Amino acid sequence: MDNKRYLSLFGVLLFGFAFAITACKKNLPDARLSLGSDSQFTTTVYKPVLGRNTLFSNNFNAASSSLPLSFKIINMRRFNGDPAPELTENFPVTVWKQSYLGDEKSLAEIEAKRTTENHPLFEIREHSGQFLMWAKAKSDFVRAQPDSGYVFDVEMTNSGGRRYFKNFKLQPYKERPYELSAADPITGQISSGYIFPGIFNNIRGERTNRYLSPVEVQVLTRKVNDTGNSLTFKFVDSLYNPIDPNKFAATQWPTVVHGFDMVKTNEAVSYKVAYPVPLAAYPTIYTDGSGQAARAVFRYDRQGFGNVKESAQLGLYFQLFEKGDWEITFWFRTERPKFTND
Amino acid sequence: MRYLYIISFLFLLFCTNEKLMAQQKKIIVKGTVIDKGDKNDGTLPSVSILSGDPLKPIGMTDGNGNFSVSVDENATLVFKYIGYVTHKVEVKGRTKITISLNPDNNQLKEVSIAGYVSKTKETSVGSSIIISGKELQDVPVANITDLLQGKVAGLNIQQNTGSPGIRGSIAIRGLSNLTISGSGNEAFLTPTTPLFVVDGIPVDDNSSYQYGFQQAGPGISPISLIPQEDIANMEVLKDASATSLYGSRGAYGVILITTKRGNSKIPVIRYSGKFFVSAVPKLRSVIGGKGERLLRIDQIMTSDSSYYHALGLVNGTEFLSDSLNAYYNNSTDWQSYFYKTTYNQTHNLDISGGDQTFNYKANLGYFDQSGIQQNTGFNRYNLNMNMQYQPNSKFKLYAGINNSLGKQQKGSGNGLINNGVAEGGASSSLLPAPSQFTSVNSVLSAIQTDNDNKTVNVNSTVELQYEFVKGLRLTSNFNYTYNTATEDNFLPAAINNNVPSLFTYNSVKNTVYNRNLLAYVYSIKDKSGEDAHNFNAYVFTEINSANYKADAIKSNKGVNDHIRGPIIGVDNYVTSLGGTLNDFYQSRSVALAGNFSYNYKQKYVLDLSYRFDGNSTNGPDAGYTKSPSVGVRWNFNKEEFLSKLNWLEYGSLRLSYGSNIVPNGTIYDVYGKYVSGNLYNGKPTVNLDTARLPNTNLQPTKNTTLNAGFDLALFNNRISLTFDTYYKQVDNIFRTKDLSNTNSFKSVTTNEASMVNYGYEANVTARPLPSSSKVNWTISANIAINHDVLTHLPDGVRQFIYVDATTGQSILYRVGLNSLSNFIYNTKGVYSTIGDVPVDPLTGLRYRIGGNGVLNYFQAGDPRFTDLNGDYVLDNQDLVVAGNSQPQITGGISTFIQYKSFSFSAQGSFTLKRDILNNALASQFQIFNNPTAIDKNGNRILPQGLVPLSLYNYWLASGDNATYPNPYDFTRSKIVDPFRFAQTLFQEDGSYFKLNQVTLSYLINQKFTKRYGVNRLNVSLTASNVFMISNYSGPSAENVSALGRDSSGGYPNPRTYTFGLNVEF
Repeated sequence: MDNKRYLSLFGVLLFGFAFAITACKKNLPDARLSLGSDSQFTTTVYKPVLGRNTLFSNNFNAASSSLPLSFKIINMRRFNGDPAPELTENFPVTVWKQSYLGDEKSLAEIEAKRTTENHPLFEIREHSGQFLMWAKAKSDFVRAQPDSGYVFDVEMTNSGGRRYFKNFKLQPYKERPYELSAADPITGQISSGYIFPGIFNNIRGERTNRYLSPVEVQVLTRKVNDTGNSLTFKFVDSLYNPIDPNKFAATQWPTVVHGFDMVKTNEAVSYKVAYPVPLAAYPTIYTDGSGQAARAVFRYDRQGFGNVKESAQLGLYFQLFEKGDWEITFWFRTERPKFTND
Repeated sequence: MRYLYIISFLFLLFCTNEKLMAQQKKIIVKGTVIDKGDKNDGTLPSVSILSGDPLKPIGMTDGNGNFSVSVDENATLVFKYIGYVTHKVEVKGRTKITISLNPDNNQLKEVSIAGYVSKTKETSVGSSIIISGKELQDVPVANITDLLQGKVAGLNIQQNTGSPGIRGSIAIRGLSNLTISGSGNEAFLTPTTPLFVVDGIPVDDNSSYQYGFQQAGPGISPISLIPQEDIANMEVLKDASATSLYGSRGAYGVILITTKRGNSKIPVIRYSGKFFVSAVPKLRSVIGGKGERLLRIDQIMTSDSSYYHALGLVNGTEFLSDSLNAYYNNSTDWQSYFYKTTYNQTHNLDISGGDQTFNYKANLGYFDQSGIQQNTGFNRYNLNMNMQYQPNSKFKLYAGINNSLGKQQKGSGNGLINNGVAEGGASSSLLPAPSQFTSVNSVLSAIQTDNDNKTVNVNSTVELQYEFVKGLRLTSNFNYTYNTATEDNFLPAAINNNVPSLFTYNSVKNTVYNRNLLAYVYSIKDKSGEDAHNFNAYVFTEINSANYKADAIKSNKGVNDHIRGPIIGVDNYVTSLGGTLNDFYQSRSVALAGNFSYNYKQKYVLDLSYRFDGNSTNGPDAGYTKSPSVGVRWNFNKEEFLSKLNWLEYGSLRLSYGSNIVPNGTIYDVYGKYVSGNLYNGKPTVNLDTARLPNTNLQPTKNTTLNAGFDLALFNNRISLTFDTYYKQVDNIFRTKDLSNTNSFKSVTTNEASMVNYGYEANVTARPLPSSSKVNWTISANIAINHDVLTHLPDGVRQFIYVDATTGQSILYRVGLNSLSNFIYNTKGVYSTIGDVPVDPLTGLRYRIGGNGVLNYFQAGDPRFTDLNGDYVLDNQDLVVAGNSQPQITGGISTFIQYKSFSFSAQGSFTLKRDILNNALASQFQIFNNPTAIDKNGNRILPQGLVPLSLYNYWLASGDNATYPNPYDFTRSKIVDPFRFAQTLFQEDGSYFKLNQVTLSYLINQKFTKRYGVNRLNVSLTASNVFMISNYSGPSAENVSALGRDSSGGYPNPRTYTFGLNVEF
């Protein structure tokens, strides 16, 4: 009897001992992430141009917060406080599935790299805090400047807690379907007339035999319709008479633009292209060094005075953001270029 | 030991009465007493022999274990020896008897020391483990702590370096500090080495002697100056209850070292000599000569941007194209110039004798080890003596003096890391070997650098004990230690821009220590006359004073290599340096401590202690630190209701709680520092140094431990088990905190961080064979599991990053996680094809590094780094918490088998759950980034040797599923840096099992040896560092820094083979 009592006491003590072994961990802090009060967005007013994919980077400083953080746009509203369904509801947008490399051999190959997904038109990247606006956002239903635009808040969370950043402003500009464009960013109206070719070398005038200046050539960019997917280059003289593109005999025709099925006539050269042009800000043979703009260059060589070889170049850095049949015309406003040998 | 003295003392008293007790029919019985626990079948001197009823001492064995007593024909002889099972034998008319005494393996009877007072383990409440000196003899080592590896659960020893005389890192129960200094491969964790107490004297084995501190001076630890042959036992105290009375430095645990004493009436002379070979471990294989040239050419031709550019590059690189040039047409094995197998020796002579009244010991030792790297080594000479005089039971005098001289050669390195050797050994095989006509700086500096270090340590102790009245004893202990260290380093002109350079250093340290202890013992007997209520109380004061000063002079302009001097500080005042170094200190500490312990029939034990500490480096506002501790113990096997269980030898439960401290910082952290400033009105000014803000509230680091333990022995001690679990909280961790630049001061040192270690330790010992068996077999194993959690950071922040500027291998401190987390890029394989690279759905661009250049985008063959924040750009926002550099499970296993004259022992240790950053492998891959050996400024650098990559699964062509990225793509490697150090690709599992030693020994027939006047002669063969089982791809999972970084500059651990000889005259 007595023994049993002792044994049970012994058992209780053993149990207590086992409890002591395991109980110590309880008061230790849990491994929550840090959410620093010094984390902040360095930009609070965002002004994308509608009609293009726009990414706002380097706009957040995590400071002492632990990564990854999660971000969410909340309370997206118009400036007057009304709800803004045009920015909160999902729209079908074109997204890249595989990377654009510049070596694609056909339109189909390019299109195979893209697909359509439903996204809100203005999003925040979940863990990086970058903002992005999809090209589907157009000024016919999204409020563009001079409207005051939209106001929204951002919620930042991690396992250490949550913080709110308030009253970000989104003030989109109207679309500018092509660049270089002379359109006023706020009104969208063409204000001043002339766009000059960015690449212009060694071109002499046929009449005066002097070197022409780039300001004597005006670039006219025009969208013929919304349905096609071609890009046509034309060269015209001061009277709008066509100049035969074949005169630019030294041109590397396949690399003028990343397009396919080139059709070259006596009046124009056209390519089937995918939009936007360039497709990505990736340096390729069709773009400038940064990959930001497409580069179309037309060349010819001629024998100048004194048996000098003159290599002439005429070209343009440009971007096209909307689908359609586009036409880019180089208008020699003063005189025709001289193609013949001296 | 104490009982031995008492018994022998009693015996002496009875000796005088021997004749009176003598009776008729006596015969003379002769014989020998053999120690069955000694693997060499040694004899036991001074064994008490008793006979009669009641038992009375009738004699004792002499120094050779022989005895001769005169007894009745039918008498029963009883042989008693402390630490051994008492043996009874009936004479039955025999005149020659050989007795084997079995060691008493009951660990509870071991005498453990806690707080300068000896207790049996049965009545001690703390967690401690005793290692006998016998276990520490087989492998010759410069530092005795190397041999504790894997022997004590919870004592984590990593032999990070094979450099002779430098010891590896030691930590008891996990991390106790968070401070990291340096960066890259030279990032070091501030060590938290336990306090050593040698024969009752705390030894300052401070930070300049150990792994992690490379500074001026020889850096020979005082512990390295103790010869292993002179050690009687070592005890590791783990919890705060055991260490609390060691106060002012005991927070990181305490290791007690007891040296040998004389205990034989007839002087015993023991000689122990060992001859050992340190063998170079497997070094890395390299591609030599033509193979290297072809590989480089092939790499350029296949990986460059165009064929013609590649051709130009090959033709423009003379060591590739000019293969007929004798200078570039070599196949040199560079490592062979730096590493060699060495032959070493150690000798030790021990003379001891005496009895309880007077005993003495003198130990004369010589140790000589040359390192496997050229021009490195460690020598030690020592003469240690002690004596004890106890004319009666009231008075005791002990005096000891230990003299030692340590010499060390560090070669061209700092003793721990030798980057010169690492770089030289990694040179391209195409370069010519050093010869009569060519010289190579790295070889010259490794071999011709004249580095000579000397440390002299003199340690003298006097201890007096007097018993005023029965039970009340005063013990006064006084110790003076003098340590002087010098270093002379000479760089010949050839390797120092044609001017020889001379550096000389000397330091002096003296320590005075005094302890006065008043102890009182009292017992109340119960009705049966047995001691029932036992009280034991003591108080002591402790005073410690240390002064240290180091001076150095550097002469950068010697005359030539032959005239090494004169050293004057002013040959060129711009370049020459000299003066007292700023690590000068004077420190004082005082303590008052008390302990009270009570037990009831050794069944219930209560232990209370309290300690006040004052320290000169404490801030004036910090005051005295109070360290309480309390412990209880229940030896439940003594309970009546369990007494029927025959299989239960002993069993006990222990619970303890206590705290302890270790002082922090220097007096300058507390009071600030004045420095001389600019002239003002033509007069010099004195300013406050604005580098460090004084913190008058600087506290010592405090360690609070809660320990629960369980001891059990079953089946007549054939199985014994110890289990401990603990919760160790380290508060007031010392850190330097940078201040905002709006302050006048740059930084302040504070005690704001805290961490917790919790874990489990178990130790099992089994003797599978019965004691009657001719084979004596013991097997034991221990394991310790430790987890650490960071619980508080300065200013209450939740995380803090220690950014590593050199290799990017940053350390993350985050509250709630393990204290030191690697914060690096996460690599999840290699992109097999370009289609595997993630694409930004918005922009159509691939994942990239930094800028927008075409080469910045990831391609097939690049490492698959995790994009943590999903912005398709790899930058420092994508670092992840990836691993723990601290071992979480450590332990060891050992076995001992003895049969007749042969004995065999083996011991291994293991470390599990540890992450290692393999920087050596990363840098081997990185060499391929630069096939033409051009640095970023366009200058030719020394080409480095290429290692064969065939062992590694690396990416070669699109579609390959590889582990390692494409090593040959040198055009992009500067941008992508695929073999960057800071990535999980090079973070490997550092678990290992190492067979530390295997020993076979043989005792030569004593009949034979005695003919030549030799009492015992035993020979042994030992191999140490035998092999390592590990998943780690580097050479050794142990030879890495305390932060788990394996750099190629490390000093490999040699494998040694030892022939040992022990002779006793």
